[in-house]
Amino acid sequence: MRKVAVVGMDGVFPTCNGLQEFSDKLFSNQSLIREWPEALKYEKQLRSKVSGFISLDECGLRQVDSSILEDYPEFYEDLQERIPKGFLSTSDLGAIWAMFSTLGALKMANWTTSEIKSERTGVVVGSAGAGHSIMRASWKNFFDLGKKSRALGTHNVDRTMVYRDAANIACLIQSKGVCEAIGSACATGLGNIGYAARLIAWGDQDRIICGGTEATSIETFIGFDAMQVLSSGFSPAESSRSFDKNRKGFVCSFGCGIVALEAYDLAKARGANILAVIDQYFNNGDGDGDMFAPSYDGQMRLLKGVIGSNKLPDVVKAHGTSTVTGDMVELTSIASFLKGHQFHISAPKSQFGHMLGAAGAVEFIAALLMLKEQKVSPCLNANELSEDLEQTQLSPNWRGPLIPAAQHRELIPTHTITKEINNIVCLNYGFGGTNSAISISKPY
Amino acid sequence: MSREEILEGIKEILKTVNSIDKDKIDGITESTDFITDLSAPSTELINIIAKAENKFDVEFDDDDIDDMGSTVGETIDLVVKALAAQ
Repeated sequence: MRKVAVVGMDGVFPTCNGLQEFSDKLFSNQSLIREWPEALKYEKQLRSKVSGFISLDECGLRQVDSSILEDYPEFYEDLQERIPKGFLSTSDLGAIWAMFSTLGALKMANWTTSEIKSERTGVVVGSAGAGHSIMRASWKNFFDLGKKSRALGTHNVDRTMVYRDAANIACLIQSKGVCEAIGSACATGLGNIGYAARLIAWGDQDRIICGGTEATSIETFIGFDAMQVLSSGFSPAESSRSFDKNRKGFVCSFGCGIVALEAYDLAKARGANILAVIDQYFNNGDGDGDMFAPSYDGQMRLLKGVIGSNKLPDVVKAHGTSTVTGDMVELTSIASFLKGHQFHISAPKSQFGHMLGAAGAVEFIAALLMLKEQKVSPCLNANELSEDLEQTQLSPNWRGPLIPAAQHRELIPTHTITKEINNIVCLNYGFGGTNSAISISKPY
Repeated sequence: MSREEILEGIKEILKTVNSIDKDKIDGITESTDFITDLSAPSTELINIIAKAENKFDVEFDDDDIDDMGSTVGETIDLVVKALAAQ
């Protein structure tokens, strides 16, 4: 098995103009969550009104409406001309973000043109949702307005297909290797990076652009709002409060994270700036027949798989959704597995919400920034931990220890802390009982 | 509507098609081929056809579209035929 290096990263983040501002805001304890005007428009139809969203203006795009169809974004004009026009016709918003981020990650990776266009270079990028905004408009025009199928044009498929992000990136950079998307709900972002790391470790590829993207989409938002799992009743900045006693659900957010992976020996040989080394990727399933609830046993097996006999982590980058059940299962599994070891938990979702298919990738970038800055980003708003057993722990199905959250106070910093960080474990889970984990370490 | 007027209308349509080089649009004639002369992907032809239906307020026959080539003149033929059928 070959070692894998991370040599590039970039993304599209709420309220941030680029990676540096994202890093600055993470480590200055800021929230990237705001009231979302699009959600406010629907008044009582929606319960949640907050999101870590990115508007078209904020990412330098302008919607160009179809002259034939109603409410159909024929394409998004790139006002900064970062992407050749042809690719703007074949992509939805998330795929455009993925292309922007790829260009940034490639610039950092400093691969040559021949390396990028090689059979040994692949693309593995996914989303949790489909191209919902495009589908909605297409279906309205066909089903409700009776338009002929040809009026939808030839880009309905490429703008909504499952692996549209990977496809657009691969066409943009003209790589000749693997081009795929892994789908695993909210573990998608990390799952794509993990799968890519395996392809390099196994020797199938030398370089891969990988990650996840989730476009700002009210169509995506309403599904989660319907489930009553989104936070409400707090100010925007206080809405996501991973591990806090008063947490009420997650904040549905959007964004994109792309990283460039390379076989460690090749990166080292060319003198690349190595951001981190991937020590292990491990993923598994809960196996308990439950679509939604996380599993203590599944997460304990996950931690065993990713840490194994490797060095214990200085930081655990948690999934930390801010949901009532999820956070308690995760906190107790992490605390139990690492009992007696000194470490801290970071919950980036407390700062920018849950980016769904992009979450694992953007949070992986947050972990890379923690390694770089030697700082632990906080569990924002985790101000009060329960002194008593939480309701979840009193359930007959509870499999974890009967220890109140407050006894883990020292693991959960509410503000950024500075310390020596050599190893970080990143955790993400998804509906269907899928669990993914990556351990990374400082380059040496 | 004359063929020249339809040609001018098609030029306006092509200005909204991302994959076509805008610098070449003013010089197109009936013999211009969308694919070989304007470097449009073959998949883009149906978008041009659909926009032409909308612009000239006509409806093309499905079989005529299937039989159509890729020149500007053949698109004009379709429009002329559809207008005559109205």
